[in-house]
Amino acid sequence: MSTLPQTVVRPEFDAGDLSAASHGDVARKLSLWEKIVDMDGVRKLTILIALMMAWELYTRLSGVSEYILPKFSDTAVALYDAVLNDQLLIMIKNSMTVLLTGYAIGLVIATLLTTAAIMTRFGSDVLSTLTAMLNPLPAIALLPLALLWFGLGSSSVVFTLLHSVIWPVALNAHTGFMGVSETQRMVGRNYGLKGVSYVTKLLIPAAFPSILMGLKVGWAYAWRTLIAAELVFGGAIADTSGTQSGGLGWFVFANQMDLRIPYVFAGLFTVILVGVLVESLIFSTIESRTVRRWGMQSS
Amino acid sequence: MSTQKTLPEPIIRPEFINENIALAHTGDVAVKLSVFEKVWNINGVRKAFILLSLVAIWQAYTVLLDVEPLMFPTFLSALDRLVSDLVDGDLLAKVWFSVKVLVIGYATGMAIAAILVLWGTSSRLGGDFISMATAMFNPLPSIAMLPLAMLWFGLGTGSLVFVLVHAVLWAVALNTHSGFKNVSSTLRMIGENYGLRGVPFVVKILVPAALPAIMTGMKVGWAFAWRTLIGAELVFGASSGGGGLGWYIFESSQNIETEGVFAGLFMVILIGITVENLIFRNIELKTINRWGMQR
Repeated sequence: MSTLPQTVVRPEFDAGDLSAASHGDVARKLSLWEKIVDMDGVRKLTILIALMMAWELYTRLSGVSEYILPKFSDTAVALYDAVLNDQLLIMIKNSMTVLLTGYAIGLVIATLLTTAAIMTRFGSDVLSTLTAMLNPLPAIALLPLALLWFGLGSSSVVFTLLHSVIWPVALNAHTGFMGVSETQRMVGRNYGLKGVSYVTKLLIPAAFPSILMGLKVGWAYAWRTLIAAELVFGGAIADTSGTQSGGLGWFVFANQMDLRIPYVFAGLFTVILVGVLVESLIFSTIESRTVRRWGMQSS
Repeated sequence: MSTQKTLPEPIIRPEFINENIALAHTGDVAVKLSVFEKVWNINGVRKAFILLSLVAIWQAYTVLLDVEPLMFPTFLSALDRLVSDLVDGDLLAKVWFSVKVLVIGYATGMAIAAILVLWGTSSRLGGDFISMATAMFNPLPSIAMLPLAMLWFGLGTGSLVFVLVHAVLWAVALNTHSGFKNVSSTLRMIGENYGLRGVPFVVKILVPAALPAIMTGMKVGWAFAWRTLIGAELVFGASSGGGGLGWYIFESSQNIETEGVFAGLFMVILIGITVENLIFRNIELKTINRWGMQR
């Protein structure tokens, strides 16, 4: 049997002067500097400017050959010049026309495939077999074949773009539709939705995060494929009858061949700009208007 | 009071005896499936059937319509070419060349991404840098860097590796960084409670908690790298030494050996399926699926 421990009784004591205790600055006013640094945009802008300054300084001080790394200022001038005199805008338009054609046709085919896959088990098997096989195949690898079948021209590029769009979009949409919970389906039937209205009002909104994911992946693959195709076969693919030919990738490649390196960088900047615009403007807007507003995706 | 309602009269139905219970029956609750239905219900059988019928359609189309083999060779001749190049030719060496470059680029990209993300989690400046750099470079197709890479590193594996690093780095860094940011504070506090700090904190708390996002990044990075590599080799493969799988395809198409193009495509598909379904699937099964983070 264990003995109980003795109770310890501490002696009473007087704390003395309590007014000396203070909590420190609980709500300190931030200085102007701290407020500015706390702004996200300001910090990122500073990093961007610092990177550009570092680039400019490095090229000026180290005397690196301008064929290896041109000055930032030269690149900016080249970009300005290319937009004004070198038909850069038309090249962007050429690229985007081909891209949008391929993307749109790809979406239509993907929709048909997905519809077939949802309606019948056999269709679903066909879709999963095809995607498993063709999704890992880089679309650009099909370009030599496409050139053989469709000849030199934008139809070959559209064919490869189709391939790069269809599989990710169909795959994601199919998994999205399959993942719509039984409860939601029953709610839809309870409201008397049938056929097309059942699909548009219930299945598509419920599967929208996956569908959007597929659209984004499809865009990323298509954009990469397009640039690669133009980079390589741009001259051949371009409509050689007119002077206003070739796309962005061709702009980069042709200028590299002519050793006009500032223009290569200018082309890369344009590629970045177009990519950022599509991703941050179009897709982010769709996302914030739909899945984020509906509370299906946080942040 | 007038508010009190009168109760409805209870209806009492007369008793009756059901004589014909034996006639009531519920139909076929468990129909025996025929052998054909049973076989057709096996997933693999249906998929194999689809695959075989696709191949059969290809073969029949090319043989019956007498399609010009330069445009569209028969399936059998493409398969024949694949086997003969694998056994006697140098296709295996070319595959090995591609895979080697890919692994080097992928590993380097992952290492740089790890360092960047470590910096990003430890300081606000690093975090800002990562979100800026990924926003800028992720939409840039890495193949567009190839002309520059050739200027800087010359014609050779160096340029290929540079482009691959670019393809992997941003996708992995972006996903890992956002994965780390979304690790719940509860998990973080548990880690701090265990006295984890610095690198052990990252390795034991952040990485496992953010593994689904990291895996997504790795898969996207792989997909971009694989596409970039084939694209780069299609064009500049020959100049970079032995030449890889992409070069094999390009060379065949230049020589108008279309069955060689198909043989190369088969090989590309095979490698892609192996990596995605064997390697990544197994990693997922052993980690995030086992830990119940993903079904």
